[in-house]
Amino acid sequence: MSLAFAGIGETRVIIDFVGKDDVKRHLQDLGFVKGESVKLISENDSGFIIMAKGVRVAINRNLATKIMVA
Amino acid sequence: MKVKIALAGNPNSGKTTMFNDLTGSSQYVGNWPGVTVEKKEGALRGQKDVIIQDLPGIYSLSPYTLEEVVARNYLITEKPDAIINIVDASNIERNLYLSTQLMELGIPVIMALNMIDVVRKNGDTIDIPKLKEQLGCEIVEASALKGIGTKEVAQKAVELAKSKVSAVPKHTFSTEVEDALAKIEGLVKGKTDSINERWLAIKLLEQDEKVMEGLPLDGETLKAVKDIVQECESKLKDDGESIITNERYSYISKVMKQAVHKKSGTKRSATDKIDAIVTNRWLALPIFAVVMFLVYYISISTVGSMATDWVNDVLFGDIIPPAVGNFLDYIGTAAWLNSLILDGIIAGVGAVLGFLPQMMVLFLCLAFLEDCGYMARIAFIMDRIFRKFGLSGKSFIPILIGTGCGVPGIMATRTIENEHDRRMTIITTTFIPCSAKLPIIALIAGALFPGSSLVAPSAYFVGMAAIIVSGILLKKTKMFSGDPSPFIMELPSYHLPGIKSILIHVWDRSKAFIKKASTIILLATVLVWFLSSFNWKLQMVDTEYSILAAIGKVIAPIFIPLGWGNWKAAVATVTGLIAKENVVGTFGILYGFADVAEDGGEFWKNLQGEFTQLSAYSFLIFNLLCAPCFAAMGAVRSEMSSGKWTAFSIGYQTVFAYIVATIVFQMGSFISGNGFHVGTAVGLLLIILLVYLLVRKPSEVKEKKAKAAV
Repeated sequence: MSLAFAGIGETRVIIDFVGKDDVKRHLQDLGFVKGESVKLISENDSGFIIMAKGVRVAINRNLATKIMVA
Repeated sequence: MKVKIALAGNPNSGKTTMFNDLTGSSQYVGNWPGVTVEKKEGALRGQKDVIIQDLPGIYSLSPYTLEEVVARNYLITEKPDAIINIVDASNIERNLYLSTQLMELGIPVIMALNMIDVVRKNGDTIDIPKLKEQLGCEIVEASALKGIGTKEVAQKAVELAKSKVSAVPKHTFSTEVEDALAKIEGLVKGKTDSINERWLAIKLLEQDEKVMEGLPLDGETLKAVKDIVQECESKLKDDGESIITNERYSYISKVMKQAVHKKSGTKRSATDKIDAIVTNRWLALPIFAVVMFLVYYISISTVGSMATDWVNDVLFGDIIPPAVGNFLDYIGTAAWLNSLILDGIIAGVGAVLGFLPQMMVLFLCLAFLEDCGYMARIAFIMDRIFRKFGLSGKSFIPILIGTGCGVPGIMATRTIENEHDRRMTIITTTFIPCSAKLPIIALIAGALFPGSSLVAPSAYFVGMAAIIVSGILLKKTKMFSGDPSPFIMELPSYHLPGIKSILIHVWDRSKAFIKKASTIILLATVLVWFLSSFNWKLQMVDTEYSILAAIGKVIAPIFIPLGWGNWKAAVATVTGLIAKENVVGTFGILYGFADVAEDGGEFWKNLQGEFTQLSAYSFLIFNLLCAPCFAAMGAVRSEMSSGKWTAFSIGYQTVFAYIVATIVFQMGSFISGNGFHVGTAVGLLLIILLVYLLVRKPSEVKEKKAKAAV
């Protein structure tokens, strides 16, 4: 399922990213790599705050739907 | 011998603080050649022959943002003598990712483990000898904010640079990847002038286009490399780039397990608690509104305006002009020279410098918001709204800074990765009234709308509306169509900013303004003074008969549809291009007042004679929205790095301002009962045009092209 459907406070493992290559690269540089556990900290109208590699990263909703997690 | 040391690190790793601490006041700020990323360098304190080069904050050496491209080009082509790698020790895992890349460059590297005090406070421990062993570089614990360890880092970096011992990366990848890298290395060995084959092999495995472009490899070798890459990719079921990224992170997690011990605790951090409130779905916007109100209350209404009043009324009112006047009388200068100095230069430059205190307080507030971490949250919570009209949340920061001054506002667009978004933000940022436009607002409000407190807020409303309308309208053109870039932004932990770093921030921005006042504005005031004091025969005359009046009379008819075709208004608009605050001063000169207050109170009566409320408001709108001042145009030019885009930007703003002001005047005069005539029809047509541009289907040419290319 996509990260956008995970619950607040849940920790999920990234399994894939479906989107443009340059965005994928940037996400990877920020620690959103396959196999990484990320935690959904909060959600608002703009998108989500996600903890990856100990750093908070804000991403918009549309991008979150492209990050596949298990 | 000069030694060059580069500072490299993630954004928010405390790099700027470290740079300030190392160089003190000996900084030189410029631009990187060809691009508009700020380039900062300075001599190491007490060692003139050591130059510290500040690189932009980056997450990786792969080029996603302009900053990354710049940093990477510098490191590869200019080869500094050593790199100080600044690592935020409290976020060590993600920060080490860049470190592994820096270690591969073949340049001596020393690591500054910054914010070590935070780590200690949290009760975590980092095993430095172990970390050294695993990464292969010297490590110094530091806290730039508290001035701990920075001298030691610099000293060791200088020694390292002089010894010329290149970094030897200790990190290795999995067997499959190492095999592929060894094969690639064997293939290209001796075929390029690169002295660093491992780095090259990694780049080839990643199939990095920018690096491959510049390689002197023949087609056969490239093909062989490609085969190796494909074999490795199919074995690991991923693309070359992702494979390397994963390998780096898995090495880092091994290092983390051995060298970093985090005190276990699932307690929610203070940052998460604050975020739960300030980025909350319902509370985020009201809190933001309160914060903004406070910022403006402090900088515009209270502290800032008190300081500005003092500069205007006392410093440039009671102190400087009489003193200079007496001095000029004493040495007995000619009347025209007295006039130039007192009426031209002191009155003009003084009026501009009067804003400085207000701007400094505003910049102080904005620097605080930026350094404490709230600015990144503002971009995030505004993203949903801005996305609706084609911009991103990151566009909001430039606009916010633009309320102080458009120049740093335009410069702040650099953090926007997407080129379309960046260009659109540059074009629209100056629509929001900057502090130099406030006197125009005060003049119109005071002279034509006495007692009304709606004019000033309406100016911001007009600015916001112009940004929204332009965003929607431009996004539908071929030039800007396409998917907006996704919003990805690190939210740093909240912290109390250091006073020193905030003051340096404020000083950097104020300096630009003072420089403008002492150069462009000085020249402009002399020019306006000259044009308004002489006629074509170079005789000193009253303004009515001056060159300026003649020019004004020629261009004034252009503004007849806007309702203010008189030459004084036309001239004031033109001098407003030099600096917006000139508009008030120019009216002052033209109405025969040498020295006027900021809001031009002396000639409100004259203005009431020449303007109606409607034409005055149209004048205000045009001056708020049209091309910004020369300094801002210069900033647009350097940020766009293209003459064509600069011309488009300024042309768009001016045409847009002309259309909006025409509509307001023509419709306003129809509604107020002046009958239907040609102007009304033109106004109606313009409204229809604007509405069409807003609701038409977006142009999709670019998208199709992009798809075809894939």
